[in-house]
Amino acid sequence: MPDGLFIFFAALTLGAAALLVMSRNAVTSAMGMILALVGVAVDFFLLDAYFLGVLQVLVYAGAVMVLFLFVIMLLSDTAESPSAYPWKKAAGGLALFFLLAAGVLWLFYWSGAVPQTLAGNTPPELSIDPATFTTSAKSFGRLLYTKYLLPLEISGFLLLVALVGVVSLSKDPTTKA
Amino acid sequence: MDSIQLLHWILFLPLGAAAFSALCLRRLGGFAAWFSTATAFTIATLALVLLIKTDDTISWHIELAKFGNVSLGFGYLIDANARLMLFVVSFVAAWIHLFSVGYMHEDSARGRFFAGLSIFMFSILGIVIADNLLMTFIFWELVGFSSYMLIAHYFDKDFAAAASKKAFITNRIGDLGFILGIALCLNLYGTLNFAELASVAPLKGAVPIAVGLLLMCGFLGKSAQFPLHVWLTDAMAGPTPVSALIHAATMVAAGVYFMARVSFLLAPEVLQWIAISGAGMAALAGLCALAQTDIKKSLAYSTLAHLGIMGCALGLGHPELAVLHMAMHAFFKATLFLGAGSVIHGCHHEQDMLKMGGLLKKMPLTAATFIAATLSNCALPFFAGWYSKDAIIEAAWHDEKFVVFSFLALAAFATCLYSGRMIRLVFLGTANSEDASHAHESPWTMTLPIAILGLGYSIAAGFGAHYLLPASALQIINEPLHEMAFHLTAPATIVGLVALSFGLLGSLKFYGLLPGRDSLQVFSPRTYHLLENRWMDNVYQWFIDNVVRRVSEFIAFLDLLLINGVAVRWIVGGFTAALGHLTGALFHRGQARGYALWITIGSLLLIWFLLAR
Amino acid sequence: MEHTTLAHHLTLAGLLFVAGLSGVLLRRNLLVVYMCLELMLTASTLALVAFSRFNQTMDGAILVFFVITVAAAEVAVGLALIVALFRRRGTVQSNELNTLCD
Repeated sequence: MPDGLFIFFAALTLGAAALLVMSRNAVTSAMGMILALVGVAVDFFLLDAYFLGVLQVLVYAGAVMVLFLFVIMLLSDTAESPSAYPWKKAAGGLALFFLLAAGVLWLFYWSGAVPQTLAGNTPPELSIDPATFTTSAKSFGRLLYTKYLLPLEISGFLLLVALVGVVSLSKDPTTKA
Repeated sequence: MDSIQLLHWILFLPLGAAAFSALCLRRLGGFAAWFSTATAFTIATLALVLLIKTDDTISWHIELAKFGNVSLGFGYLIDANARLMLFVVSFVAAWIHLFSVGYMHEDSARGRFFAGLSIFMFSILGIVIADNLLMTFIFWELVGFSSYMLIAHYFDKDFAAAASKKAFITNRIGDLGFILGIALCLNLYGTLNFAELASVAPLKGAVPIAVGLLLMCGFLGKSAQFPLHVWLTDAMAGPTPVSALIHAATMVAAGVYFMARVSFLLAPEVLQWIAISGAGMAALAGLCALAQTDIKKSLAYSTLAHLGIMGCALGLGHPELAVLHMAMHAFFKATLFLGAGSVIHGCHHEQDMLKMGGLLKKMPLTAATFIAATLSNCALPFFAGWYSKDAIIEAAWHDEKFVVFSFLALAAFATCLYSGRMIRLVFLGTANSEDASHAHESPWTMTLPIAILGLGYSIAAGFGAHYLLPASALQIINEPLHEMAFHLTAPATIVGLVALSFGLLGSLKFYGLLPGRDSLQVFSPRTYHLLENRWMDNVYQWFIDNVVRRVSEFIAFLDLLLINGVAVRWIVGGFTAALGHLTGALFHRGQARGYALWITIGSLLLIWFLLAR
Repeated sequence: MEHTTLAHHLTLAGLLFVAGLSGVLLRRNLLVVYMCLELMLTASTLALVAFSRFNQTMDGAILVFFVITVAAAEVAVGLALIVALFRRRGTVQSNELNTLCD
């Protein structure tokens, strides 16, 4: 049985995800999304990945979700339809969810895809050896600037491309530059 | 700079110039003209330096690819023939560039034109210095391409577009034989390198004959030999400097040069055919020149005749005489074309000789050089053409090839006839049209090249060769020159002098009878028509109409029925239509969610596959 | 903490992923669909971090770093696309966007 903190935040995350998927109001969905992301961040903390957890909150729950909210406000096309809540569809969706969830549980517990010796383990002791998993942001930096230097450069370039792409997409096509 | 580096510069400088002109100078015609001309003169200078500094055989080679035992490479081989050709090409081309500056002054596409001239220089120099058959072939095709591009300079005119296509396609027919010959040669001898091929003694039997015949096909196409000569007269649709450079002085001569270079591969049977057909064409083309009123077309027939003579020299087994005649011909024929260009330019783009006349006084410098070059063309003793042409005629007599000899004699006579006609119609008498009466001398950029090439080289290249040609280029021509000077009683000289006096004087008189009209046409219209008619074109037309078209219509029908109908429409089309119908109903609904569902199903299948392994 | 095994974390990640997938399949509002996609992405990063922690290597965590970077770029472009789409078609309901079928 896992500890209480994990259960609480896992339940919170799943509830928030359900809110995201099932709410008819896009703003409510976005709120659910934020909550789910924070829940995932907490799980990162529980896994001792503090740096990633902070990053998750900053980038996702902060920047990305603000963008989403802005666009939702901008488009003001939030309600899916004025009619009653589509219960039938929601029931279908839940059925689909449980079917897939059963698949996931089978995959992780009984299929043997994850070796039981690993899957049943509690996390190993943390070390300070930079070659293994550490909690410090320093080991991120070391790997990013040595082993993963090229991917880092490429992702920087990707960000630049995205920047240019967004600028050109946001231009009004009717007016000429 | 050593000689290999010099050769690198000579070869790649024009390529660079062409690229620069084509990419950067399309709108700056005037600058492109002078830039290209400066490049051409630089190349000529470099070539001169190379010729003066060295006189042994230069060879250099790098291997580019190796397949089994077959090595393909890029290399240079400079022997005596190549030396002379290098000098002639670069020198004549430089002056023709200068001439073009004046002649193309009002053209709107000068950037393209001069880029074309430069790429042509690159290609022809590549042929001259190539040391293996494959490299020759590549540059050979490049020459074909640049010729196509330059003939089609006025591509908005139908006749120019058609002429360029005709030249290109006719050359392709020859080149097909050429590349087959290369393949066969590779198969037979195992190498394409000239030096290695020369060291392998020419084999006996049917296959070596086939190699020679196939290689000859390339020569037939490029040098406009019978039966692929039909494109050369049409190629006059290009600008006059192009006609002078490509279709008189250098490109068509490349075929002769190439044949001389691979002469050791040619079996006696092949040589015999080249000799007979060359001599026959020389005589025939000379006569046909009488029935052309367009000054450039008349000159084109004259070129055909001289190419026939060169081919004949090759066939008689005297490649060095062929190359010598090619060099001399390059000088005087370039002069003739440039003179014609100057006349055309002076007469406001009138090309009909019957509408000219009396230009001797209005364009004295052009007239003097043109007449000098014509006399060289007629082989007046001690003029450039005399040394080479009469040497070939004498060689035919000496080798006791009397059929060839009589054809050549007829060709010499015909040459004098059309030369006299040309002088009489264009320069003597009175002006026969408004344009001719207002003719004016051309600017210095045009007259200077004519003067240098005409007065300098057409007259004196023979006896003054030691002063005018670089010493190392003279290795091959020294001997025939000296022989000629002491053989004045030889039959060839007699024939030449008789032809000259009767032909030239006779036609000068004959064509003076009726001003503004062609005397032959008036007195014997049937003869004129016989010569004017383009028999080979008619044969080709008949062949295409009756054979090629029938066959291709049948094949087209088969294609329509079997490939298009049964295979494509029924089998492939039916299957894909059925499949498309099925998938369209299942997958292609235009709903993003539908696609997402199929992606999900696909992923699940993939996971199942991975787990079930 | 002593009792939380790798399977627990993976289960959470898998359930989040499946929830996101159901949303992608069922929802019509492109914005919500897009958020669900992001949820799926996050769920996969959670699995990565868990594996990374339990295997005692840093590589999975580094990969998560890159995933977050790419996701940020992707969200910016995707939202710009949705806005451009809305400007042109006046809707972000996916069932009204079926030009691909015509």
